[in-house]
Amino acid sequence: MASAETNIDLTSNAMPATTATTTATTATPATASLLVSLVPLSQEAFEATLSNLALAFPNDTVLVATPDTAPQLSSGSPLRLIPYTPTAVSATPWVLTAADYLNTYKLAQENRVTSCLLLGAECQSLQPETIRALASSTLANDLSVAHYELGPREGLVNSAILYPVTRALFGTRPRFPLAIDLGLSLRMAGRLAATAQRFTASSQDDSFLWPLAEAATANFTIAEVEVTPRTIPQPVKRDLNSLLALIAGSLFADVDAKASFWQRARGTQPAQPLPQTAHVAEPPDTAPMLDAFRLAYTNLHEIWSLVLPPNSLLGLKKLSMLQPESFRMPDNLWARIVYDFILAYRLRTINRGHLLGALTPLYLAWVASHLTLISTGTPPEKHIQDLAAAFETDKPYLVSRWRWPDRFNP
Amino acid sequence: MWQQVEQALRQSAQQVLYKLASFLPALIALLLALVIMTAIGMGLAALLRRSLTAAKFDERLARNSSATISDWSPAHSPTALLARVVFWGCVAIGCFIGISAFDAAFPGESQISIFVLPYLTHSIGAVLLLIAGTLIARFLERSVLIGAVNAKLQYARFLSLGIKWLVLVLTAAMVLDHLQIGGAVVELAFGILFGGIVLTLALAVGLGSRDIVSRSLERSADLRSNLDPIPGDPDFKATTTSEPLRHF
Repeated sequence: MASAETNIDLTSNAMPATTATTTATTATPATASLLVSLVPLSQEAFEATLSNLALAFPNDTVLVATPDTAPQLSSGSPLRLIPYTPTAVSATPWVLTAADYLNTYKLAQENRVTSCLLLGAECQSLQPETIRALASSTLANDLSVAHYELGPREGLVNSAILYPVTRALFGTRPRFPLAIDLGLSLRMAGRLAATAQRFTASSQDDSFLWPLAEAATANFTIAEVEVTPRTIPQPVKRDLNSLLALIAGSLFADVDAKASFWQRARGTQPAQPLPQTAHVAEPPDTAPMLDAFRLAYTNLHEIWSLVLPPNSLLGLKKLSMLQPESFRMPDNLWARIVYDFILAYRLRTINRGHLLGALTPLYLAWVASHLTLISTGTPPEKHIQDLAAAFETDKPYLVSRWRWPDRFNP
Repeated sequence: MWQQVEQALRQSAQQVLYKLASFLPALIALLLALVIMTAIGMGLAALLRRSLTAAKFDERLARNSSATISDWSPAHSPTALLARVVFWGCVAIGCFIGISAFDAAFPGESQISIFVLPYLTHSIGAVLLLIAGTLIARFLERSVLIGAVNAKLQYARFLSLGIKWLVLVLTAAMVLDHLQIGGAVVELAFGILFGGIVLTLALAVGLGSRDIVSRSLERSADLRSNLDPIPGDPDFKATTTSEPLRHF
């Protein structure tokens, strides 16, 4: 940790441009304990966010770091703007990237704040109370993660893969591992920046970081803060295959990097109170997803057989013969599939690009199964929690195969 | 007469034994060079594997580059791949040394190495071409198959097989050309096969896509006709849109 911080210090010294800009545009010496770091926003969104921040912290001085052109604020405003020049323009502005974490920590260090808030795209939709709650949580915890209330057909990748895997492997409770609104203590920000620096050093500024896994590995305290309502930004490029490969690949790589931690981690998360999400009134149109799955079953069977054990292949065969109205992928089958793909990613059983491409039809099958199930009246959140529990139950399988990959696996 | 036959046999046996006696040291020199260089190769490969594993070469390479060497050797790590390259390099050097030693130890004036060495070099080149061609064919086959399945193309398997055989045919033609086997026959056969596969693929994709194109045209025509009525018109029908899926 110390060496990582030293590295960052060196890097920040090597970038006088950011520091110079900051000093020149800060009208008064800023003595604040909280830094709010914003991603690039449109002019209207930026102004709305500033007014929300002013309402959230009427009596405190808050530093607001922004890569946008900062307007002149009235002298009575509690906000102090810190414009900075981002190192690179993010190609994935809908999610926080390594560069965002690194910039935030540099600015936090320079301005000697004790905690930071990172607010992602569309943060103008955040209510002042929500921002205040996130900031309050940051005072008591190293990492505060936003909890969004999404509809039953939203955030499906998170529900299918990100949340269950993170919860089962790292023993963390928050529902959104890739949340875009975070509260960080200075040491948490430093840890994330040290990880981010490894990516930015190799010009991978747009890499994703997994704050929950980092916090769990460092044994930092984690809290979850209800953030509703909030407009969730969507990726501009809507190609599911490439986006799923990008996100799942990043998660699998992080799981691989932190194997020594999660193999030892124990404990099952307590059951969460289930939010009252709206039920799906109309039956879902799962036909395109089922067609994609069946087409993949006939064509990708050979590739899947390199990754999945015979038992899972048998499960998929049964699944391919089910009628749309009774299409239901068992939770333990999906958990096994994801775990086997993580293993294949680690072992490089096949090319990683091919591996992640072969996951897409299976994911679509899970989505079809999920939508079919919730259309029968099952609360979506109950299904997600059951799925996460199935991942936890099956964790010994992953640990065993991780340690002895060549052992017979029926 | 029998004496002459006996003398002829004795002389020929003597000549064969003499030839064998002068051939054996050359053969032993060849084998010895090969065995020693193989042993050196094994030692170097083991040393390289151990030092690269200690330096966490695989992890560093995976972290620093998105498309790694191991993408081209899926079942092995880059460390294993490098170790194998070193090992087979040593074996190849052993072959060269062995043939030169054979040539030097053989008392005849045949100068075998002048003919064998260039052909051996060509053979090694051909083997490398074959390996590279097979790997590229497999990589492209899987890439096309997965891409086509995810694009929901019904003829995904056919397309991927076509690509695979295109690359394999090209590789086979290059290997035979490199070995100088077949001459113009190979070029002609390759041209016919390659052209045939491309034509088959073009026909298959064209015929297979006929429905897609016609559906697309129909859809755009429907869209144009549906755009005409406006709310308030008797023909106007409000479309019911279901809640969209959001994967992220």
